Amino acid sequence: MAIDTHECECEKRESLFVPREARILHTHAPTSTEKHFTLQFVDGSPLKFQPGQILEVGVMGYGEIPIGIASSPTRTNTFEIVVRTVGRVSTAINSKSIGDSLWVRGPLGHGFDVEALRGNDVLIVAGGIGICPTRSLIQYIADQRDDFGRFVLFYGARDPLQLLFPEDRGVWRATHGIEYHETVDRADVSWTGNVGVITTLFRNTQLSAETRVIICGPPVMFEFVIRELDQAGIKRENIYVDLERRMKCGVGKCGHCQINDKYCCIDGPVFTYAEIHELEEAI
Amino acid sequence: MPVFFTEAADFGPFVDSLVRASRVVGPIAKRQKFVFGEVHSAQELRLDYDVTLLPPKKVFFPPKQAIASFDADRVDGEIVPIETVLLGVHPYDVRGIDMTDFLYREGNADWNYLAQREATTIVASCVQNVAPRAFWASMADGNQPQGHDAFLTQIEGGYVYETRTPAGEALLAHGNFREATADHIAAAGRANADALAQCQSQLPYSSAQIAATVRESFGDNAMWDVLAKDCFSCGSCNIVCPTCYCFDMRDTWNLDQKSGNRTRYWDACMTREFAAISMPGGGHENFRETHQERFRHRFMRKGAYLNEKLGGLACTGCGRCSAACTADIADPVKVINAIMEWS
Ligand SMILES: Cc1cc2nc3c(=O)[nH]c(=O)nc-3n(C[C@H](O)[C@H](O)[C@H](O)COP(=O)(O)OP(=O)(O)OC[C@H]3O[C@@H](n4cnc5c(N)ncnc54)[C@H](O)[C@@H]3O)c2cc1C
Ligand code: SF4
Ligand code: SF4
Ligand code: FES
Repeated sequence: MAIDTHECECEKRESLFVPREARILHTHAPTSTEKHFTLQFVDGSPLKFQPGQILEVGVMGYGEIPIGIASSPTRTNTFEIVVRTVGRVSTAINSKSIGDSLWVRGPLGHGFDVEALRGNDVLIVAGGIGICPTRSLIQYIADQRDDFGRFVLFYGARDPLQLLFPEDRGVWRATHGIEYHETVDRADVSWTGNVGVITTLFRNTQLSAETRVIICGPPVMFEFVIRELDQAGIKRENIYVDLERRMKCGVGKCGHCQINDKYCCIDGPVFTYAEIHELEEAI
Repeated sequence: MPVFFTEAADFGPFVDSLVRASRVVGPIAKRQKFVFGEVHSAQELRLDYDVTLLPPKKVFFPPKQAIASFDADRVDGEIVPIETVLLGVHPYDVRGIDMTDFLYREGNADWNYLAQREATTIVASCVQNVAPRAFWASMADGNQPQGHDAFLTQIEGGYVYETRTPAGEALLAHGNFREATADHIAAAGRANADALAQCQSQLPYSSAQIAATVRESFGDNAMWDVLAKDCFSCGSCNIVCPTCYCFDMRDTWNLDQKSGNRTRYWDACMTREFAAISMPGGGHENFRETHQERFRHRFMRKGAYLNEKLGGLACTGCGRCSAACTADIADPVKVINAIMEWS
């Protein structure tokens, strides 16, 4: 076994696992189960990150969970997250309000390769809470709109009450230069828009084969969306998927997030479809 | 590095002097079995052990390790290494330590592990009794274990002590050593060769052959069904393994309900919930739903993924998993040989 175990280039002899304190500057609750936080590190330092990277966010005494960053690095030294109440830790986070602290590690992992997207047509397909981590990229593109080609955004949710970011959606809809389409699986009386799963939005949209595509949503969504993209002739290298796995460490050690021989936390959560389509545990 | 010899009668006082100077951890008896535990006197030390229940990784990566402590609005890291002499580690377990050293160092260096690792002086020792399920003789692949500071071999009349590092040499000051003769060195060579010859099971393939075949077998569902048929998903094979290093992190409160700890615990990829995520509305999605998938993942890691990264199987041949598995299906020799010969 030819392994060299005695050299170490890293100077920082610090724990990877000790979180930093971030103060809650603003909150609001767009749905009955989600809470949107604006945060700032107590020491005033900015969070430097790429759209699509993740944080481990926690409440001491309850634990920490992986959460996508929902704002763009092009904006101020605050950052935003949206947390859905699911279990123990997310409930503890969502019980916090303005002035309270959350404990944060990160940014972790690889985000979207914005340089590879620059100059190209971009389609974002976001299902459910998948809109949160992609919002960092949506804002990023919107803020540097001239650097990108055509920008199409598909957003789908279970029903109208689950649609997040009402103000943003108003802006996206009204912004010349963003082709925004939304859909719900089940409509209510007030809904006049498209009804049906997210793939129904492909019917009325022509895509060039060179479009760069970002997919983020529940595991079941990927297969169907990729089928549509295949039909549009979009290459696997140009499709980016944002995957979700159980995570504990976020730094490639604890083993929980492994997808065959890749780690969602350090090799992802954003992968190109070319990288993972042969990994049987991926999708 | 030079080689030394100490008389049998001088060995006890050497160990006792080490015990007075620092924390010493080594093999000690626990009922009919052996464990790595704190050694308080030379009499307790059992260098004639066959294998310990748990591997010595627990010195650097304890089953339960505080990462941070918190109190109201402060959080403090908890890296508190203790100077330790780890005595009597068999060569296969040194290889296990080599692997975890590499894995905790690569990419993001894990100082919660490495700090204790650096504070530890390791004295390896010759295997005097071979455990029934051990197969380390066929796992060495011609490579010597690295992560130790000295190597101790019992021979007639005393012990041969080979120093490997200055830290290993520094321990000589605690004993009555003299330079070993050519006869002593030859006797030590024979003792170590004898131990190798006693290992029964064999894995007659190179690690490169194993990596390729194990990887290719991923989609062979019928084979994995057969191999994993009786698995209880208990995780014992992970827990006893010197090269397994997965963990969970959990918070616990102190009695005051204000302060507490963030702690990491050993975890096991063979257990049902290891890759499960919670979905809204109380649902779950499990990325390794069946025990076949989890069993396969264990062998993909040891046989292919980590093998390719380490340049050798992530298995030392200690045989602990074989002994720990109630269903007797965990034995890497049986499983890997079966994969290699499956057609
Ligand atoms: C890359 C990534 C990005 C994410 N982004 C967001 C986001 O922006 N907003 C949001 O609300 N949620 C997001 N999630 C999901 C979120 O992490 C889970 O909802 C959360 O972990 C549930 O934890 P809990 O303690 O409340 O639930 P419990 O059911 O109590 O879960 C117990 C533990 O299991 C693990 N776990 C359970 N479910 C998941 C899961 N879905 N993903 C990862 N680990 C899990 C966690 O370690 C958790 O502490 C993301 C997950 C990943 C992997
Ligand atoms: S292989 Fe054996 S020890 Fe491992 S999880 Fe299955 S039953 Fe338990
Ligand atoms: S897989 Fe089994 S034999 Fe190999 S190192 Fe782990 S416990 Fe020992
Ligand atoms: S979350 Fe621990 S390895 Fe990825």
